[in-house]
Amino acid sequence: MNSGDRTAGGGAPRGSIAPSRQYQPYLEAAWGFKNAWYPALFGAELSKNVVAGVTIAGHEIALRLVKGRVHAIRDRCAHRGVRMSLRPRCFADDTITCWYHGFTYGLDDGVLKTIVASPEDPLIGKVRIRTYPVEERAGIVFVFVGDEEYAPAPPLAADLPIRIADDANPVAHLLDENVHVRGVHRRVESNWRLGVENGFDPGHLLIHWDNQIVAATDRRMGLGALPISEDAIKIIDEPNGPKGMMNMYNLRAYKFYMENAVIGMKARGKKPYYARTSVFLPGLLLVEHWPIPGWAQYEWYAPIDDRRHEYWEVLVGRAANDAERREAEYLYETFFEPLALKDFNDNDVFAREAMRDFYESRGGWDAETLCAFDEATIVWRKVAARFNRGIQEPSARRAERPRASRWRRTATARTRAAA
Amino acid sequence: MAADGDSADARGGVSVTLRFEDGAERRIVVAPGQFVLDAALAQGVPLIHQCRSGNCSTCVATLIEGESATAPGRPVALLASEAAAGRRLLCVSYAHAPSVIREHYPATPIDAAAAPRRFSATLGALARPNPKVAIFTLAVADETFAFASGQYVRIRIPHTDEWRSYSMASAAHELPAMTFIVKLIAGGAMSEYLLRAARPGDRLEIEGPRGAFVLRRSRGQHVFVAGGTGLAPILSMLDAIRRRPGMRPPMLPSFGCSRDAEFFARDEIELRRWWMPELRAILSAGRSDGADDGLRRGNPVDALDAARSTRPAPPPICAARPR
Repeated sequence: MNSGDRTAGGGAPRGSIAPSRQYQPYLEAAWGFKNAWYPALFGAELSKNVVAGVTIAGHEIALRLVKGRVHAIRDRCAHRGVRMSLRPRCFADDTITCWYHGFTYGLDDGVLKTIVASPEDPLIGKVRIRTYPVEERAGIVFVFVGDEEYAPAPPLAADLPIRIADDANPVAHLLDENVHVRGVHRRVESNWRLGVENGFDPGHLLIHWDNQIVAATDRRMGLGALPISEDAIKIIDEPNGPKGMMNMYNLRAYKFYMENAVIGMKARGKKPYYARTSVFLPGLLLVEHWPIPGWAQYEWYAPIDDRRHEYWEVLVGRAANDAERREAEYLYETFFEPLALKDFNDNDVFAREAMRDFYESRGGWDAETLCAFDEATIVWRKVAARFNRGIQEPSARRAERPRASRWRRTATARTRAAA
Repeated sequence: MAADGDSADARGGVSVTLRFEDGAERRIVVAPGQFVLDAALAQGVPLIHQCRSGNCSTCVATLIEGESATAPGRPVALLASEAAAGRRLLCVSYAHAPSVIREHYPATPIDAAAAPRRFSATLGALARPNPKVAIFTLAVADETFAFASGQYVRIRIPHTDEWRSYSMASAAHELPAMTFIVKLIAGGAMSEYLLRAARPGDRLEIEGPRGAFVLRRSRGQHVFVAGGTGLAPILSMLDAIRRRPGMRPPMLPSFGCSRDAEFFARDEIELRRWWMPELRAILSAGRSDGADDGLRRGNPVDALDAARSTRPAPPPICAARPR
């Protein structure tokens, strides 16, 4: 056991003596849930013969596109431990070569095929680095991150939202035919759980109260929503399928607050819109009918390490022909990306990064004071504690990129010394 | 001890004595064409090694007597002068005659499991779920302490020379904290200490870990049977399964107490049912004190047989109250 394990969760000694929280495993999952599909890159980011390195839940992974197929392999050369993606080197379609001494691994099995500098080396054929299951769907490269022995990997659809059935005009699913999928991803400086919990939080609308999209669409958005009946929060437990929970805003199960009399504040906007949020393992959000009816927003909060997550904001809409695709593209470029993915979601990113210090250094998981609408958050934590496929063990160190050059620093130091 | 020729086995292997830095010796038989390291590993002597191809020099050792040579034509990471001085890379070296080979490290670390160490521990919380059971936690400061679920430690009762053995009820991922479940016995040394003297922060000496009753890996259903405080190693194993790599197997613990008034750890078992959909639990009591407690009647083995045909509903989520 390493030291990261010993402090996971923090606080008093646990064990069976003090009643553990029902969501204890969630508190252990600072590095994320393993044995799950996470988005790694947009397919368009992987141009031919280029190796891209990503870090998901502490797993350093090199991705390479060959003849339309993406391969995922451990991004650490067995020899001297450098990340191969730092200087991509590929000499054949079925291998990846480390830029340092030329250790060359098979993309399919990770076995050392040759060493550029030592072609008769006895290590050849004996040494192996691990590979990862990978699937590219709807323009997104997904990697199954976790234990190599967790095989076969469950289908990708088990780690995506459910198909919506209780809606007269259900939003499209990412894996449907004839969908238009666009989005962005960016690094956010907070633990991934703060990302997930911010996404479906029924009480956080204050940060969106004066956002551009609300004003521009004259959207009647409440100040908050309180679950008031048993069916307000639906547990999703599909056999061999998605697990998660849904805020049932379509039922009369929530009370929406449109004003707060104590401080004389009212919700803006006049036009009613319907949207609904749900959250799924291993940690992704679906917002139905957002930014406009008929569209769906997917958000992933893929853990990088225990302090940062890759925030994926993806819009999914229907487009069956070129004209509809052009219209979808127009909407995305001129409306969705600037107003929804950037302006609106920037406020969520601000909130998550603002929570980081409290949850990382000030015992936030024990010291937080949750209120009535946080029932949704508690249910998510319990659902996540039950349905995860494993807690990612901490990595020894957080991934850092090496400095490209130190010359500038040296020169500066000399100048200072001379002065 | 000198190498002797009389222990060559029927396949024509030769006897090799491995002499460790601390004086410990292990005798192995190395067959023709077999590397010394491979023979040692196969015969349960876990020599330190890494590349197994003559490159890394991790397995370097010194030939004291006899004859051992590197496989012909194999370039190895040894200088000619080192080879002349008797250095051998055991991963690529044969033994051609009975030999003595000196390892440059003690046997103690590789025998650690057989040689328990003593540690200082601090008493954390102490609880009594019922008059006959105490549960307490200890924190071990030493980061080198490790154990496998199912193992136990000996605990010295403070201010005495009495030692008692208890299985850990928590798993290694909760270290430095460990949980113990103790059956309270009137007049028992540990019971008297826990009931009368114990205070959080007390220093206790522990020795271990000990025991070979540990989990073996398999994908089939894991059935556990425990009565009373015998639940401790089972809880530890269930927690270890939750955190170990790979897919979880189906688990079926059957836990019973002699009377339902003495039943304990219901919350602990319910939590684990929640955390692991693969876990079914069978709870039983030998005798009823009249309450409708949902426990099966009989001992845990009988209850296991009776319960195997039924499939209980999943536990409730209890969403209404935070935490």
